[in-house]
Amino acid sequence: MEADVMFQLKNIQKFFPIRTGLFSRVTAHVRAVDKVSLTIRRGETMGLVGESGCGKSTLGRTMLHLLSPTSGESLYKNRDVFSLSTQELRKLRRELQFIFQDPYSSLNPRLNVSEIVGEALSVHGLAHGRERDERVKEILSVCGLAPQHAKRYPHEFSGGQRQRIGIARTLVLNPEFVVADEPIASLDVSIQAQIVNLMEEHKDQFGLTYLFISHDLSMVKYISDHVAVMYLGKIAELSSTAALYKDPQHPYTIALMSAIPSIDVDAQKKRIVLQGDVPSPSHPPSGCYFHPRCPYTMERCRIEEPKLRDIGGGHLAACHLVQQGGGRL
Amino acid sequence: MGVNELLQVTNLSSSFQTEDGLVRAVRDVSFHISHGESLGIVGESGCGKSVTCLSVMRLMEQNGRIEADSMRFEGRDLLSLRERQMQKIRGNEMAMIFQEPMTSFNPVFTIGFQLQEAIRLHQGLNKKAARNASIDMLKQVGIPRPEKINDEYPHALSGGMRQRAMIAMAISCRPKLIFADEPTTALDVTIQAQILELMQKLQQEIHTAVVFISHDLGVIAEMSERVMVMYAGRIVEIAGRRNLFKDPKHPYTIGLIRSKPDMEIESPVLTPIPGTVPNPLHTPPGCPYHPRCEHVMDICRSTLPELISHEQMHQVRCWLYDQQGAVHGS
Repeated sequence: MEADVMFQLKNIQKFFPIRTGLFSRVTAHVRAVDKVSLTIRRGETMGLVGESGCGKSTLGRTMLHLLSPTSGESLYKNRDVFSLSTQELRKLRRELQFIFQDPYSSLNPRLNVSEIVGEALSVHGLAHGRERDERVKEILSVCGLAPQHAKRYPHEFSGGQRQRIGIARTLVLNPEFVVADEPIASLDVSIQAQIVNLMEEHKDQFGLTYLFISHDLSMVKYISDHVAVMYLGKIAELSSTAALYKDPQHPYTIALMSAIPSIDVDAQKKRIVLQGDVPSPSHPPSGCYFHPRCPYTMERCRIEEPKLRDIGGGHLAACHLVQQGGGRL
Repeated sequence: MGVNELLQVTNLSSSFQTEDGLVRAVRDVSFHISHGESLGIVGESGCGKSVTCLSVMRLMEQNGRIEADSMRFEGRDLLSLRERQMQKIRGNEMAMIFQEPMTSFNPVFTIGFQLQEAIRLHQGLNKKAARNASIDMLKQVGIPRPEKINDEYPHALSGGMRQRAMIAMAISCRPKLIFADEPTTALDVTIQAQILELMQKLQQEIHTAVVFISHDLGVIAEMSERVMVMYAGRIVEIAGRRNLFKDPKHPYTIGLIRSKPDMEIESPVLTPIPGTVPNPLHTPPGCPYHPRCEHVMDICRSTLPELISHEQMHQVRCWLYDQQGAVHGS
């Protein structure tokens, strides 16, 4: 394993059982994440995009063992997070942190800001008493909050400020790796950029590595070094941000990008409107999961599942149409 | 008032009495919309964009209060109509599409029942004819197997399908004006693209005027011929789509555009607007945007600027621009 690899995910699967009937027998599975492999390097931001239900959040949670995996390996600095004991895992939690989407429900309403942020320090036995207060004060200012905010409660803050509190709680532990699950989705447009810029500053300042989960392709383009596009629990395309946005290969990625409304009123862009809805992950289609909605479906797509393969320069796509070196048949 | 004018609102103010005090959600809002036109209203949460539409439809809650110099819909004064007359206009001549169709459909009745109810009420059709009309509407909005979906309950439909059904309901009586309040916000982008395409197609087919409300500048840019930007209950800028996005005037409009990356336009840095949206109970004095504005001057802190015409059809409420539209100090 290369030295700069922080996380290596190997064939991660996470299925949720569907139970029905009197004896709650498992009758089917929701295949939320299905054989995902991904490498995240130290100091980079990996963007994970896809529509609701594609498994992006489940992957983020499973890789940190917040959800127990069905199968696969999640290697963090060469140690498999899945095979650690509870105690070892708890120790590791300091290094692996999570920023949640909804700053309204992820903060305890009965604790003030200083307690919310300080709690993490106490849990990990990192600081107590006055030292703890000092650390909290310091981290609040790094996150753009004033010292007088420390004694206030979550309901007294706006959405953007609550997200800053959430970020402060994460950063106070001085983590190495942070999964940010839709951190800006519930914020107003004018506030989103504040939070994204704050995360960028912290990345340099604290030497962080991010997994940035979002449905917003334009924001992912802005913040990420690499991007993985997910569809129905699988990675459809994976590449450096520049290559992906300049020359997307997978028909799903192309459609997804073309679907985003732009304020450029002169842009002559051709929109690909995909037909139908995303199929249910409990009954995924045969062959390529995207084939029922794909404008280029061939016979082969209905039968054979395409492998995620390198088409040159580390640009991976899972599509029968995509050839070596880019371009379509 | 022009010949083609459908709706003319003059100095509309709406307020709510809450436990914490009076919330003035909409202040002195004036706008008009012509037959078949599309007007976009853009702004962040709490800017008054939804309340503006609810006020025009007189759908404000009990504790709400509407005041206006006039609100004329095809020559009729909406303010002086009795509730009964207003009910005839609502659904029939004016309709609304909401953000979350799950909460705007009644979960215990089938889609068809609810569509037919509207059709029978406003068009006086019998049961059988209404059912056929309802199935026709579902077909028109691109719902597959309309006969089957007509008998389904709302929960059985996906978000995109529910929104299509909602649109079917809104257009079932061929209204002259539709208010679409964030109709695609709860949907995924590929489904959003479907719904936007459908709405554009239908608008052309039935020649309805649409007021499209969204916080998403991109959606507004695609759906509206004219755009109105609101902040803290007031209009801060109105312009044609092209002018607004190519030559925005108000610092808030410029700030909004700069704070969001765009797929078509390369932006190396994002420039956020500092601070937060003001609390509607304590709107800052003077120009409500002044605490966040990078061009703030003394006068902004004390006096509210008027909404002035900068060019033809381009109005802006900002002290930076005088009557001639020249930038102060330049």
